[in-house]
Amino acid sequence: MSNMNEKLLIDIGSTYFKVSTDNSIEQHFRDFNKQILDDLTHKCGDTLQRYDSKNVHICSSANGGLSTLIIGVTHSFSLKYASNIAYNAGINVIDSIIFQDIEDYSIPSDLIDVVIIVGGINSNGGVFDERLTSYLAKLNYSSVVYVGNQPDGALVAERVEQLVVLPNIIDDRLHIVEEHLKDFLTNLYQQDIEGKEDIKHLYQITDNQIYSTPYVVTKSLPLIHGSFPVTDPFILLDIGGATTDVHYSKDLVNDNIVTEQGFDRLVFKKLGVYKSRQSLIFTAENNEFSYELLMHLKVTENIYQEHSEKATKVLMQLAIFLVLCKMSHYRPAYVTLRLLTVNSIVFTGGITKVLTTEDIEDIVAFFYRKILNSDHKPVTVLDSGYNIWTLGAKEHAVCL
Amino acid sequence: MKVVTGVIGNDIHVVANRLMDLSLNARGYEVFNLGVNTYLEEFFDAAVETGADILLISSLNGEAEGWAREVKLLKAEYKSIDKLIMMIGGNLTVGSGNAEDIVPRYQNYGFNLVCHQVDLNTGLDMLEAYVDEHRPGERGKGELGNVEHNTREQVPS
Ligand code: B12
Repeated sequence: MSNMNEKLLIDIGSTYFKVSTDNSIEQHFRDFNKQILDDLTHKCGDTLQRYDSKNVHICSSANGGLSTLIIGVTHSFSLKYASNIAYNAGINVIDSIIFQDIEDYSIPSDLIDVVIIVGGINSNGGVFDERLTSYLAKLNYSSVVYVGNQPDGALVAERVEQLVVLPNIIDDRLHIVEEHLKDFLTNLYQQDIEGKEDIKHLYQITDNQIYSTPYVVTKSLPLIHGSFPVTDPFILLDIGGATTDVHYSKDLVNDNIVTEQGFDRLVFKKLGVYKSRQSLIFTAENNEFSYELLMHLKVTENIYQEHSEKATKVLMQLAIFLVLCKMSHYRPAYVTLRLLTVNSIVFTGGITKVLTTEDIEDIVAFFYRKILNSDHKPVTVLDSGYNIWTLGAKEHAVCL
Repeated sequence: MKVVTGVIGNDIHVVANRLMDLSLNARGYEVFNLGVNTYLEEFFDAAVETGADILLISSLNGEAEGWAREVKLLKAEYKSIDKLIMMIGGNLTVGSGNAEDIVPRYQNYGFNLVCHQVDLNTGLDMLEAYVDEHRPGERGKGELGNVEHNTREQVPS
């Protein structure tokens, strides 16, 4: 047995898993023919054995998170506020619907984990009508939550089974109220992680709750300056096999939403270099600057078909470029960050194993030049030893 | 009655907006002030979320006309704000301009009330007269009750 207080931290990703002790960090490619637990014990059995299950802390990003469809009444308020809260809780918004046109939208065929309904301040009832219930009747979802105006909530609850009604996320001054919906969604996400068969087995080796990785990373952001030469404001990109996560400080947002936290997070669910490779390529093919970027890297589009180290490297470089585009005014996905004021960009995740600081700086400079017409050069910080994750996981383990 | 107000576009002249907020409140309206730097879509969206009766747009720096041209087109996309009373005021053109030309032009863009370089209280009196004529009995209903006009004397000038 190890020292009584020494912790073993494990992170399960879609492509790799990492195991960190006080003095070492191992990383392994996952074997998809095996259950996670079997794979883990096979590759790190010795290490696992040394720890008591109360000192083992696990987080996972392997399941990609929950999906939501949001029904709101305007883009600037209800949909924007709900999307903001959903993203913060680690939920992926797959579609948003403006209620007045609800009959024109097609019904998504996939199962939606949670439907969010929002609209109107509390003194403005009568915003929703039976078109809402007929749409929901056709939709395939696991849970549904109402966070709109109070008077309509009671009416909708009468007609929609299992409707969870929470306080309005829009207050009487049109400002956002986050906490209730955020807690609800965070708990839902948590239950989902715990409910996944594969993950459930992991409770055989830990007594502690298994958290989502982004949640753990968020814990490390306020502490990052102690371990890295990072100057505020900064963004942190976690480009992995299936998804890309962006953490950024709130002061980078050109937005009037006032929220409590200092940091926010965005997930691009279909942007990764292994599991989401195809959708990454698709996004690249639809970006008019990708071609130029490939030229700049002295490769052609044939690289998309290749499965080589070189191809992985290029895809990772493309991923950096595409994510930056998505956060700029050029391809606004959800928020536009003031990228010209960013002083540091921190990279973590699988990407740090493949690209060098120079490879990354080259792409960042290309992005600033082409998209923002600027010579601005934020400092690139590479977290190749997964210190950020360890920092967050430790902080989290200590807090428990 | 509920009023959504703010300053349109990239305009950051904030003084009139603050006064507007105070005056409207003093006159008994329920005010939703979006402040400076507000885009047309945000005005309409706020009207939808609040169920506003009146939209009162200010423009000071001369960019009003560009936005006003978009009003009809954008408003047509909304299904629940047909009855919204639309008002605009401030400096509605670049330079001084004259109201005889400006007012009908803006009415054509879809505004019910147009106040080019009209002071605030005169403008708000016009609004009240308009409401009394077109929505008799609605003014002061609900929200804060009937508020006497003289409360506006409390507004700093
Ligand atoms: C202060 C000021 C600034 C400050 C603003 C500070 C701030 N955050 O508020 C600063 C220096 C930043 C500034 C910048 C600019 N300004 Co400036 N500014 C002024 C100034 C001197 C006073 C404005 C003011 O606060 N007045 C006091 C308030 C109470 O009066 P008001 O704004 O006129 O509003 C009254 C009425 O218009 C009316 N009203 C307003 N809205 C509505 C709506 C309704 C429905 C009704 C009924 C009435 C109404 O009620 C108010 C009270 O009676 C005026 C000139 C002047 N003397 O008016 C120029 C002025 C408004 N600015 C002007 C310009 C051009 C600019 C700039 C473009 C300059 C530049 N080239 O950079 C920038 C634009 C910045 C931007 N993005 O908007 C011009 C606009 C000209 C035009 N429309 O053709 C003006 C008129 C100066 C001029 N004569 O050229 N400005």
